[in-house]
Amino acid sequence: MEATNGSPTSKAGDWRSYERVLLPPVRDLHKLEVYKDEGGYESLRKVLNTKNIEPGDVTNAVKESGLRGRGGAGFSTGMKWSFMPEPDDRPRYLACNADESEPGTFKDRQLMEYNPHLMFEGILIAGYAMSIDACYVYVRGEYADWIKHMEKELEKLYEQNLVGDNILGTDFSMDIVIHKGAGAYICGEETSLLNSLEGKRGYPRYKPPFPAQVGAWSQPTTINNVETLACVPLVIEKGADWFANTGAEKHPGPVLYGISGHVNRPGVYEYPTGMLISDLIEEVCGGMRDGKKFKALVPGGSSTPPLRADQCDGVTMDAESLREAGSMMGTAGMLVLDEDTDMVSYLRRVTHFYSHESCGQCTPCREGTGWLENIVTRIDEGEGQMRDLDLLLDLCDQMEGRTICAFADAAAWPVQYTLKRFRDEFEAKCKASVHPVSSKTSSGIESAAPAT
Amino acid sequence: MSQFDIQRPVVELPDQDPDPVFSDDELVWTEEEKEQIEQYKAKYPEPDAAIMSVLWMAQEKFGFLPPEVIQLCADTLDMPFSKAYGVATFYTQYYKEEQGKFVLDVCTCFTCQFTGGYDILHYLEEQLDIHAGETTDDGMFTLQEVECLGCCGSAPMMQVTNGPYVHNLTKGKVDELLENLKKGELPRFTSVTLPQDEDEMGGNRRSDAETTDTYKTQPRSKTIK
Ligand SMILES: Cc1cc2nc3c(=O)[nH]c(=O)nc-3n(C[C@H](O)[C@H](O)[C@H](O)COP(=O)(O)O)c2cc1C
Ligand code: SF4
Ligand code: FES
Repeated sequence: MEATNGSPTSKAGDWRSYERVLLPPVRDLHKLEVYKDEGGYESLRKVLNTKNIEPGDVTNAVKESGLRGRGGAGFSTGMKWSFMPEPDDRPRYLACNADESEPGTFKDRQLMEYNPHLMFEGILIAGYAMSIDACYVYVRGEYADWIKHMEKELEKLYEQNLVGDNILGTDFSMDIVIHKGAGAYICGEETSLLNSLEGKRGYPRYKPPFPAQVGAWSQPTTINNVETLACVPLVIEKGADWFANTGAEKHPGPVLYGISGHVNRPGVYEYPTGMLISDLIEEVCGGMRDGKKFKALVPGGSSTPPLRADQCDGVTMDAESLREAGSMMGTAGMLVLDEDTDMVSYLRRVTHFYSHESCGQCTPCREGTGWLENIVTRIDEGEGQMRDLDLLLDLCDQMEGRTICAFADAAAWPVQYTLKRFRDEFEAKCKASVHPVSSKTSSGIESAAPAT
Repeated sequence: MSQFDIQRPVVELPDQDPDPVFSDDELVWTEEEKEQIEQYKAKYPEPDAAIMSVLWMAQEKFGFLPPEVIQLCADTLDMPFSKAYGVATFYTQYYKEEQGKFVLDVCTCFTCQFTGGYDILHYLEEQLDIHAGETTDDGMFTLQEVECLGCCGSAPMMQVTNGPYVHNLTKGKVDELLENLKKGELPRFTSVTLPQDEDEMGGNRRSDAETTDTYKTQPRSKTIK
């Protein structure tokens, strides 16, 4: 690393001269003709036509590239692919997760709008690597316009033998189907997605068995996010080394930052991972709106714990740095909030979201999310008591890790961390306790007894 | 849930056994629709998976999904009514009750909360003289508050009847939208230009975009800090 004169370094290197690869500046790139003119589907051709590139080699390249899932959990993509059992006579499926419903996240939509073929090509290469028979692209129902546009392009792919039987004259065959959702955040959770795909209510499933063993229609299945799959052709075209050397070492590659909130210039930006939060706000987004002070950042969608401005000093946008700072990369859908923001009000709306979207299978989640909302609402309306703060934390403990899927954890984290990091704002809204608070009862189960 | 200080309205479930809205004569598919259903079924290893597509098609045809329409969808795919009903009631975009001619879904979630989503919602409530969740007397508009629509960079925003998105909302834009809708004109697909495209390409990259907009500094909410 270069000398920094004490100023923090960006792991994104010389990002000012970065050239975009997920959304390269090409007019009408979303059309197949243009995409092909730009060298599109050459990576697929290379993988299919080169004699000594076996499916396992593709998986290995993706492993070496260090690509980590862009859907929220940040799991190694190559590793995930290698969980698929050896091919046998059972059908095998891939699901492309385009449900994008995590509040604050809008980057997959832009990818589907401006470069859908990169996603389709990634799907086909992933399909070759895992010997997939069909890929279902699960798009949230609200994206009706984008679904229409993509269906047109998909039709062209079938006509040109880039999808379907014997692709490009090889013995590799694969179908792609676009499946339209109908409005349910939970269907972004991978096993809920599978149930929804099968024509059931979108209830998440118990794991294990994992989808690689028992997935869609009980067959081996892998689920990947849109942006994750769009990275795959880049790994083939530019090489695993190039990918691994772009951005943050342990969380490499290009990434789409969807930045919204109190900045001068919000939007979806493509840069390498590992960008300094301060660079993204000050330089990329032109600073804070109306010259206000930066107060808090939600780095990757509503489930990721908010960070206070002082906790963002020198922090870069990658899993490691954000974990050290006390949050997560999530979807890189960053909400920037200024000094005027009321964090109690923020949390009230977030808890409302989770209570609205809980699928209702697990009691701790179904009831817990409702209570979280009730209690935060009570505090926000000035009716809360100091001990409600403990009650909230206790409730989070009762929810976390006790449910079928990670939704309940995702609902508990923002509560725990907003409360911890902005506690003074919550206390200021609470009524003074009628009982003297002793150190014995100011935390823990006793003080959490419901007010009568 | 036991008594609590904050009372939120109980969400009323749709009537379990209402009088049918559609007659048996109306509850049939055309030949074209039947063909389309076969195509849906062919996309999946099992026909049940086509239920979401069939419900979408039914909603487009009938406007909403009362029990007799759900029954039709279930019969079409040879699945029990309870299963189809379970699916129809799981997802928010399926209308279980009759809606206005246009449904205005205003996002008030997350980013939209702080950038004027509630201002837009309240302005619409005033203009239409209804509360969120209600339909105007003339049956033109239903107003709803919805969760994040995946467009937070161009907040505040809304979606019209499960179709087009309208970005960067202002009061003026809402007025214009209502005017156009009253004339029966739906907003057209708007492509929001990427900031990096503005810098590097001088504007929107899609020549087929019917209209374009840009990511802008988002407004300040008047009601929510
Ligand atoms: C409640 C919940 C909601 C989720 N929503 C999404 C989503 O909208 N889009 C997405 O890609 N992943 C979502 N995920 C993550 C998926 O379960 C899954 O990890 C991801 O699609 C895997 O793809 P990746 O490895 O490429 O990131 C969600 C997870 C949970 C627990
Ligand atoms: S944790 Fe919540 S969302 Fe997940 S399965 Fe249980 S009830 Fe459903
Ligand atoms: S918060 Fe309104 S679109 Fe995402």
